[in-house]
Order: sequence, then structure tokens, then C-alpha cells
Amino acid sequence: MALGLAREGARVAIADVNEECANTVKNEIEASGGRALAIRTDVSNEKSVQAMVEKSLKEFLRVDILVNNAGIFPTSPVEEMSEEDWDRVIGTNLVGAFLCARAVVPKFLEQGTGRIISITSGRAFQGAKNGAHYAASKAGIIGFSKSLALELAPHRITVNVICPGITDTAQPRGHQTEEQIYAQGQRIPLGRIGQPEDLVGPAVFLASDAAAFITGQTLLVNGGSIMW
Amino acid sequence: MGDKVAIVTGGAGGIGQAVVMRLARAGFGIFVLDKNEEAGRETVELLRQQNYDAEFYRVDLKYRTEVKDLFETLYAKTKRIDVLVNLAGGTLHRRLIHEFSLSDWREVIDVNLKGTFLCCQAVIKPMKERKDGIIINTSSNFGITGSPGRTAYAAAKAAIIAFTKSLALELAPSGVRVNAIAPGLTATARVMTSHTETEWRQLTEKIPMGRAAEPNDIAEAVNFLASAESGYITGQLIHVNGGMVFT
Repeated sequence: MALGLAREGARVAIADVNEECANTVKNEIEASGGRALAIRTDVSNEKSVQAMVEKSLKEFLRVDILVNNAGIFPTSPVEEMSEEDWDRVIGTNLVGAFLCARAVVPKFLEQGTGRIISITSGRAFQGAKNGAHYAASKAGIIGFSKSLALELAPHRITVNVICPGITDTAQPRGHQTEEQIYAQGQRIPLGRIGQPEDLVGPAVFLASDAAAFITGQTLLVNGGSIMW
Repeated sequence: MGDKVAIVTGGAGGIGQAVVMRLARAGFGIFVLDKNEEAGRETVELLRQQNYDAEFYRVDLKYRTEVKDLFETLYAKTKRIDVLVNLAGGTLHRRLIHEFSLSDWREVIDVNLKGTFLCCQAVIKPMKERKDGIIINTSSNFGITGSPGRTAYAAAKAAIIAFTKSLALELAPSGVRVNAIAPGLTATARVMTSHTETEWRQLTEKIPMGRAAEPNDIAEAVNFLASAESGYITGQLIHVNGGMVFT
């Protein structure tokens, strides 16, 4: 996502709790002649988010696009779910999206422009056995984004959501074998699981002028696995 | 407490009173849980006047230990809970995003969403063991449409839908059903006093059926989901909103 936006000419602040990963992406962007910042950020922490936005504003002087992609997906049945796990998932996936949006909105209002794109999951629509906190947080993002879209529409700031299906990253490998992942891909109407690259076009589109009249929507980018 | 027992959180609120009355009429002994002690006692008094079994317990659903201790007390009293209705919740704070403090935003999420999670968690094990039990959660039309000033409330209410589906999947093999209702604009005292007469007319005129829900309309939907008539329904959301919002 960061690489794709950089390719389209965006200067990118990569906010990740994993500083090493953030630096790798930053270096890759700079190697292709782009500009990037890597900022260690815990999106569930108010101060950390404020500091991240201040730092990127200091460097880039403006912010046009916020992508809320940070998320975690531990598993446990509700029966055994600890309060700490619940708070961590809701705090990172949902409250984190709120904190990041709230931190950029004043600048968006001042500029009179801005785009917010948050990432949800098919689990938001279908539920997740052994991932009720995750499904709740991802459905929460949709309710949150629609409300925020209504609040910011008078300022021509748009707020949308992208819903990937199963994607070829480390995440599904936490609880599925390669064979299971391949088999899942075979069952998807377009015949394969998603690649991270599949999300770039939709994100760039929603961030562009072409999508100026689209707000409060959820775009499913999943090869047809769920049609809602 | 009789043969069948239901817990209703937020049972002393405007919708809550109608729900406990309806479930009592269907033969349930009722534990009324609410944060508001006065309204809670009043509700139980109303039920007892009609010879229904009812007890009130004050609880703040934000706190895990409070919920856990209370449900232990309730199980010691009845041995079984047939139905849990999670009605407690509300908008609490209505503010635009840049004026919304983290602590207020969290409070809305915790009262509505975490409270639902904690109460569900407290009944799952015994319901699974008995291979019988019904959980009914409360979402809102705002969980589908969003609402300006309600970023937290709409998030929590949308989250409750996915939470309900997830729990339904986990408990379906045990025969425990989990569903949600989504009341639209409802004519409770709390809602009506927060609007002028003109505002209320404008709001209700926009509803296809031309009126707000009466608390009883919501109570009938809860009663249906709490009954054997809905025995093959799980993971679903039932809108009770006069056609205001679909899906």
C-alpha cells in the first residue's frame, strides 16, 4: 500500500509498531526516488499517534491521505477470551482507527481536502469463529467510517473502507497451512487468493479525484469471495 | 424463579421495561440488570404487582469483575439461565470527531460492546453444558447507516453484529442460538425528551411506516427470538424500524 501510493507520487509516512519493517519499506521507496518517513507508532496509544502525525506534518507540511491499515488478529473462542486480548484487539483495530482519524481531521479541515481509507475484513460481514473481537473491530470500522463520512461530507472530505479477502501475507499463515490457503484460493470465483498489490489500485482510486463523489462506502476487493 | 429464567441488561430502561414485561408474560422469571437503581427497583415492583418473578441487580457492565461476580451470584440462585438479553447501552456522548475525547469514545465502546462481550462470556459455559440457551444482543440502525456525532456508538453497534455472528458460529454446534435486534427510532421517554415536538414530527415522517417504534414493538421481536418459534434462527439481525433501513 505504501509502495503503491509512493509510486503514484505520494510522500509517505509509514507508521508501524515494527520499526524495522517500516524502515525496509522507507528504504525501498527512497531507492526508487520517492520520499518517505518511518515512524514507530502504537496506534492504540493516543500520545504515540499524536507524535506520529506531528512528525509527519513537520516533515511534509501537509497530509492528504490517511490509510488505517494497522491491525492484529489473535484467535480464541469467546469462552476463553481474556479481557486483555479483547482490549488489545478493539484498542488497536478500532480505537486505533479513531485515534489516527481524529489526529488528521483538524489538518484536513484547515486544508479543505482529505481522504481517509480504512481496511476492514470479510469477517465483518460473516463473523469469525474464534475471532469475535477481530470481527467486531472490523465491523466497528465500517460503522465508524460511515458516521465519519457523514460528519466530514460538508467539507468534501471522503471516508471509505476497503475490504480485502484472504491475502497472501503472513497473517493467514498464522492459522492455516499452505495447502489450506491454496485450496481456499481455488474456491474463490477469480481462482486465487489476493495479493497485496491487488489493494493498491483500489486505494489509489479512492484517494484520487476520480473518487471525489464516493464516501461512506465499503469496496470489496476479494476476487468475488463474498458479494454483499 | 420459576421454570425458565431470563436476564435482561438495561432492563429498567424504556425498551427494557417493555422487554421484561413481555418475557415475564411468556413465563420467564426475570433478573433485571441496570445501572439505574431507582428505575430498576421500580421495574421489579411493576412486575411483582402482576405476580411475576423478578429481582433487580445494579451493575456497571464496563467492569469485568463486577459482571463476573454478579453472574456467579445469579447462577447460585437459579442454576440455569435460559435467555440473556443484552439491551444495556446508548449513545452516551454525541460529539464530532475532533471534539471527542479518547476516554468518552472508549466509554461508548465499552458500555455497548465490551459489556455485551462480558455478559455473553459469563453464560456461555453453562449454556454449552446444557446444550440449550439463547442470547439476544442489541444493535441499532445506526450500526448500518452510521450517524454524525455518533462515530463511537455506530462503531459499537456495527461491531455487535459481527460479534453476534462470530459467537453464533462458535455456539451453533451446542445448540445455543445468538441473534441481534436493531431497533430504529423508538418512542421511549429518554429519546422523546431529547427532541422538540417539531423535530420528532420530522423524524417520524421520514419513516416509511409513518411512526416511531413503540417499546412493545421491540419487545415482541425479543420475545420471538427468545421462543422456540425461532429455533432454527441464529447469527441473524432483525431490524425493527418501520422500514427505515434495510439489510
